[in-house]
Amino acid sequence: MRRKPLHFIKFTLLYVCLLLFAIFMMGPFLWLLSVSLMPGKNVFSFPPAIFPTFIDFENYVQVWNYMDFPRYLTNTLIIAMMGVVMNIFFSCLTAYPLAVFRFKGRDLIFTLLVATMIIPAAAGMVVNYLTVKALGVMGTYMAVVLPSAITVFNVFLMRQAFMGMPHELRDSGKVDGASEFRIWLQLSLPIVKPAVAVIGLLEFMGMWNSFLWPMIVLNDPKQYPIASALSFLNGQFAYNFGWIAAGTVISVIPIIIVFLFTQRYYMEGVSGAVKG
Amino acid sequence: MNKTPFFARFGKSEASVAWLFMAPGLLLLALFVFWPIIYSIPLALTNYSVIGKTDFVGFDNFVKALQDKSFITSLINSLLYVIVVPFIQFFSILMAILVNSNVRGIKLFRTAYYIPVVTSMVAVALIWGWLLNQNGVVNYILSNVGLMQERITWLSNKNTALWTLMFITMWKGLGYYMMIYLAGLQSIPKDLVEAAMIDGANRAQTIRKITIPLLKPYVFFCSLISLMAAIRVFDEVFILTMGGPGDATLTSSLYIYQQGFQQFNFGYSSALGLIVSVIIAALSIVIFRFNRKGGVNPY
Repeated sequence: MRRKPLHFIKFTLLYVCLLLFAIFMMGPFLWLLSVSLMPGKNVFSFPPAIFPTFIDFENYVQVWNYMDFPRYLTNTLIIAMMGVVMNIFFSCLTAYPLAVFRFKGRDLIFTLLVATMIIPAAAGMVVNYLTVKALGVMGTYMAVVLPSAITVFNVFLMRQAFMGMPHELRDSGKVDGASEFRIWLQLSLPIVKPAVAVIGLLEFMGMWNSFLWPMIVLNDPKQYPIASALSFLNGQFAYNFGWIAAGTVISVIPIIIVFLFTQRYYMEGVSGAVKG
Repeated sequence: MNKTPFFARFGKSEASVAWLFMAPGLLLLALFVFWPIIYSIPLALTNYSVIGKTDFVGFDNFVKALQDKSFITSLINSLLYVIVVPFIQFFSILMAILVNSNVRGIKLFRTAYYIPVVTSMVAVALIWGWLLNQNGVVNYILSNVGLMQERITWLSNKNTALWTLMFITMWKGLGYYMMIYLAGLQSIPKDLVEAAMIDGANRAQTIRKITIPLLKPYVFFCSLISLMAAIRVFDEVFILTMGGPGDATLTSSLYIYQQGFQQFNFGYSSALGLIVSVIIAALSIVIFRFNRKGGVNPY
């Protein structure tokens, strides 16, 4: 009985802390939303408009008419899906033997791969640009996706996941006369589903949000994914705050929706992948 | 067996199957990860650029780099950026402990904290660029609370710009590390803590003797990931300051990019990339050695 008031204080304190962090993390987005809903409002006005005093979707209508959002969103979706499929396929294939097979050079390969994670991305950009050009895919979505069709980080995560798989599984598959490929496809992959979901989602977000590389390898701005198009829009209308805010909200909403629907999988997977 | 004759035929030894599995992935990695490293070595020894003839120049690019004030500044800025790492660990562990409690609506908070991670840096930079403007909301709030006399131009003052960028980097990344730490906290067996409590340990003791040691691999993992991200930082700087004012926020990644894609000095840019890679490699070796001494297994 005596513990009750103490418990109540703790409980309140916890919620206050949670709320403070929530304001810190979400506040900027809510403010952006409020700016986008008030046409003609200056973001630098005093006092600043933290809560919308009126709601008007005019910014959205105008920026939607000005910018071809369906096209950019489609572009982004194509690029993101290509990236996701390729990454899942290639990193699951590559990580599997690194985790469960025994062969000469296995640890050397893995160490070499992990060592490359420290190279600054900008350092490889020039050579990758030349490679993409030499492959003759410049100006296509292949040029956007190919350099990151498999990443060492994803191989690393998948290896961790495969290592957590019970050893008996592969043996039982062998006893039944299944080939290694079938064991991989039908026995092993279903077990690492959460990790597959993680790299799928990480890759989807990465591709959805990438802006620089697409601008380098795509010649026509009409091919741009949404993040590149958005930074293009910023350059053109530095002071049309409402439009830019509305455009940003439009670009952010799809990825947040994807996250909301997949977060359960994703959060399970993150814990599994790091535990290893 | 009959369904996959290709693999069955080559599947004589485990090694050959292993290489078959890895071949497509390794080919891509060889082309886009290893080739840039290898090819940048000869490239760094030339004056290759879009204009003029390409000549072999020996180590001229490296000599030039060591005398290049902007490059030295960019290295220092990239190393300074690492200061963000302990702050990230502190706040994300704090958030993980908060969202590890089992109260109503906790999932909503977890989601809210994660939203900055999923949004693009373009959007995040835009929002914070406005908020941190001289006439922006941050200055308004700070001066109204009485914490500040003069309005600070956070991103265009050479004394504050780099720290402001670090703050934005931290803000965007906290949710990601929080999730990893949350996974770590939840992996600690509850009976272990209970057993300690029964044996008479108090809360502080269980945190010190059980939670922290068991969380150590996670701290190492997160520190390493955030360290690599900090030292390679690019997007925030590229969108918000382009290295300015002056060279105040010029980071090595940005400078390599500028030399390559804005000045089109491909040879010089490659040399800079090599120097930075060697420095980071040396740093990582030190960290791994240090870590091994502590007896913590990174994976």
